[in-house]
Amino acid sequence: MTCAEFEKFLPEMLAGKTSLEQRQHRESCSACADLVSDLNLISQEAGSLQADEEPSPRVWKSIELALRQEGLIREEGPAAGSEPALVAARWFPRWRPAWAAVALASLAFAFAVLLNQRGTGRHDAMMSVRPAVPAIAANDYSLEDQRILAEVGSRAPALRPAYEANLQRVNAYIRDAEAWAKSNPNDEEAQRDLMSAYEQRTVVYSMALDRSLQ
Amino acid sequence: MLSKQRAAVLASVGLVVLSQLAAAQTRQEYRFKAGRKATVSISNQYGPITVKPTAGKVVVVAATTYSDKVEIDKRHSGKRVAVVSHVLSGATAESGRVDYELLVPSSATVSIHSATGPVRIEKLTGDVNLEGATGGVDVRDLSSAHIHVRSMDGPVTLTNITDGNVEITSVRGDVTMNQVNATRLQVNSTSGKISYFGDFGDAGEYILTSHTGDIEATAPAYASFDVTARSEHGQVQNDFPLAPEHTSFVLRAGSAFAGTLNKAASSVKLLSFSGKIHLKKR
Repeated sequence: MTCAEFEKFLPEMLAGKTSLEQRQHRESCSACADLVSDLNLISQEAGSLQADEEPSPRVWKSIELALRQEGLIREEGPAAGSEPALVAARWFPRWRPAWAAVALASLAFAFAVLLNQRGTGRHDAMMSVRPAVPAIAANDYSLEDQRILAEVGSRAPALRPAYEANLQRVNAYIRDAEAWAKSNPNDEEAQRDLMSAYEQRTVVYSMALDRSLQ
Repeated sequence: MLSKQRAAVLASVGLVVLSQLAAAQTRQEYRFKAGRKATVSISNQYGPITVKPTAGKVVVVAATTYSDKVEIDKRHSGKRVAVVSHVLSGATAESGRVDYELLVPSSATVSIHSATGPVRIEKLTGDVNLEGATGGVDVRDLSSAHIHVRSMDGPVTLTNITDGNVEITSVRGDVTMNQVNATRLQVNSTSGKISYFGDFGDAGEYILTSHTGDIEATAPAYASFDVTARSEHGQVQNDFPLAPEHTSFVLRAGSAFAGTLNKAASSVKLLSFSGKIHLKKR
């Protein structure tokens, strides 16, 4: 089973219906396993919103990360980074009554982004919402990635979504190539593939930092 | 349905807009005596770049701008010619656009960076270095050249390339090669599809690698190569009757194959993590 075929069954899998073939693919493919894990997390958080009066710190953190990546809020000092939930809550003092709408929108947005980044087009049939700007969990990026994205965001905000999506793809490639090379240390092609994966990231970085980018 | 009066008003407005656009459009031509081995570089953020050969020793750069929000910075020193679109503050994709048409000596070395616009290069013998972030790259009729293409989102198409050394790195754009015979061809893509149509030449090394993108190579029955194809989590398919070949890894049916066709003049490696691989007979 390929990744594209796997993605066709995502709605059924999120509803708890999985076949042996799908489970085997998920166990062997870290990219698809990560995708299902992310979607399950989103689904769980959305479910918890119906029961809780206040959003969990995790929800606030997700919203804050998304806003930080968009450059809508910035670091204000050590305390800001250490208490993300409080920071996010401070940014929305008047919005608390409407927190559920914001959070749900963010979650729907993140859900659409995750599918969009897989590049299958399958999500069009599942959701009519197509995000204008992806919101991606910060832990998907290294510090260097985040610096690069911040640089693109400051010089060419419209291009940032494309760079985010491509960095995600490239990072997934690197993760898979590293795992393959690690499990096959004497396999010349596995080592070659790892070099190719790193080269892909070099391309994204060099284009992001190109002097002609405005 | 539009009334006649309304249609007339719309037509008038359209004419005014078109005339304003035409008035803002400016075509400038620059000539540089740089010799047959000129080194030419162009950097452009918005708009297409076309490069064609000329018989002389002069590099001709024709640049069409659409507003005063962009300036053309030029530098000429000996064999070296560098042209950069200098986009001014507040420019948009429309107002910052520059269309370039270059005529260069056929043996010139050409280096192009295009952030968004398409790039087309043809009929050169010098080395070519192309970077395109989102625009497509189209390279055709090049011989004996070192072709280095780096693309992020745009498609890359190579047609009728002979005896070159070709390196293509594409993150998401599809890579399509028609009649590309190289001493060494290396294509690497994260999620774009890689397609090769040709006979793999007579002494080349061809390495096509992807992460999730499919790889499809189509060759005639008379082609001569040894091939190794592996997809860790995708399917592989082969239409040729290959003579078995020893490999350094275990051949899993359906996910890898290896063998020799005819006299194995060239070496072909098709490698993917989860994309499908298909070696097709033409």
